[in-house]
Amino acid sequence: MMAARAFRELRILIPFAAAIALWWGIKDGIGVSNTLLASPAQVWTAFVYLATHGVLAEYAATSLQMIGVAAAISFALGVPLGFAVGTNRYAARALEGTLRFLQGISGIAWLPLAILWCGFTHTTTLIVVIYTLIVPIVFNTMTGVRAIPENYVLALRSLGASRLRIVVDVYFPGALPSIVVGLRLGMGYGWRALIAAEMLVRQGGLGDLIFGARTFNQIDRIMVGMIAIGILYIVVDRLLVQPIESMTLARWGVLRR
Amino acid sequence: MTWVPERLVWRVLPAAPAAVLLAVWAIYWWIERPPPSTIPSIAAVVWIYGEQLLNGLLVADIAASLARLLGGAALGIVTGIAAGFVAGLHRPTAEFFNPLVTFFNAISGIVWLPLVIGWLGVGTALATFLIWNTVFFIVFQNTVLGVQLVPEVLELSVRTLGASRWETLKSVTLPGALPYILTGIRSGLGFGWRALIAAELVGANTGLGHMIFSGAEYHRADIIVAGCLAIGVIALAMDRWLLVPVERRTVRRWGLVTEARGN
Repeated sequence: MMAARAFRELRILIPFAAAIALWWGIKDGIGVSNTLLASPAQVWTAFVYLATHGVLAEYAATSLQMIGVAAAISFALGVPLGFAVGTNRYAARALEGTLRFLQGISGIAWLPLAILWCGFTHTTTLIVVIYTLIVPIVFNTMTGVRAIPENYVLALRSLGASRLRIVVDVYFPGALPSIVVGLRLGMGYGWRALIAAEMLVRQGGLGDLIFGARTFNQIDRIMVGMIAIGILYIVVDRLLVQPIESMTLARWGVLRR
Repeated sequence: MTWVPERLVWRVLPAAPAAVLLAVWAIYWWIERPPPSTIPSIAAVVWIYGEQLLNGLLVADIAASLARLLGGAALGIVTGIAAGFVAGLHRPTAEFFNPLVTFFNAISGIVWLPLVIGWLGVGTALATFLIWNTVFFIVFQNTVLGVQLVPEVLELSVRTLGASRWETLKSVTLPGALPYILTGIRSGLGFGWRALIAAELVGANTGLGHMIFSGAEYHRADIIVAGCLAIGVIALAMDRWLLVPVERRTVRRWGLVTEARGN
């Protein structure tokens, strides 16, 4: 049993082995120059160098910290705003179009303006990432609140529940599955916006790492950075966001059906 | 507010945030007179539109961005649907590629810029690659899902009536998967538009992304705000007048797979 399970886990590596073999074949078979593509061995060497010198950990920590802070602020601001808008049909009518419009202007488009206001600083990056993250959260909180059958609210109110009680016991659990979907979507957009912003702001982070390596034609470092970006995103998504999503769906998801 | 007809309030309400924002902006600018490199006046932004429309730059930038989006998205949609059908119909293929798709999806789009800029240089080819890369994975994953969710009974019953494999694909699997494919295309275009703007900031000499980035270089907030508003209007117009109608029409026509569940 154990062996069979271990084998199934290991099978995930087979496609990657095939991809690396293909990558190696292209690199050495065609003889692509080092200024265009690094070989897996070169990338490994660069990885060991960056990892043992603490460079990779430092850049990765900057990115993770940024996305964490941005997600926390967006959640803290976005959910109450979504409730306020979602529970009042006039506010919902007024803001829905504006939110859609803002969603069309990606956070990264505001980067030039943020640079003019705050210079090449972490604040600039944070503005862009929070903007990117908060719009889907507000939007999905609003949609979640509005999808709650009014009878639930009326039932509680007729039993004498206060407004706060209704928010805590009806709106929050009822909208939570939708809020979490918004958070997950926002994290997907936000992570990309973060990498793009870091490329231009150049104050640390994995985007800075890969874009900085570009200026020195260090293709091996670019590829180490790309792989790190992919793995970190998958780790954050699978170990943090997805469990929250399935937890809320299992616990409160019934309300949406 | 009994003297104002309820219906009228309801109709003008969506315009209220924009009106409030414009009023605050105008009043703030009138009192504070901030330097044009931080917050532009409304007049300056309007002036930019006039100026750039007259010298043709705005139209050229919009055309460049849209052409890249169209090219990259078309490539991404065609390759995504084709690969999605192969993986959706053949489970071992899907299972084999699944881990790779997860990984490459996580680094899709802008993350490739530093590497690919060395292959394709600055310009349309680079932007097209990044959009293709972004759109492909979203369309692919949705197509696989859609194809796999078509009940096999439907396909088999058409087969037993003597339809060829190709005919079954065309008249059962494709329409059955279409709602999912369209959802993929719609969100793919959203991601693609973002990726394009990000790519154009550094990887192009034309396009709306380049327009706003040059605004930062010349310390011209009016150019940036004008560019951002244009980006939003185009995204909204694309979604409302292109994707939503297509989605609605096809879901109404073929959407029985999803619609039947609700009623």
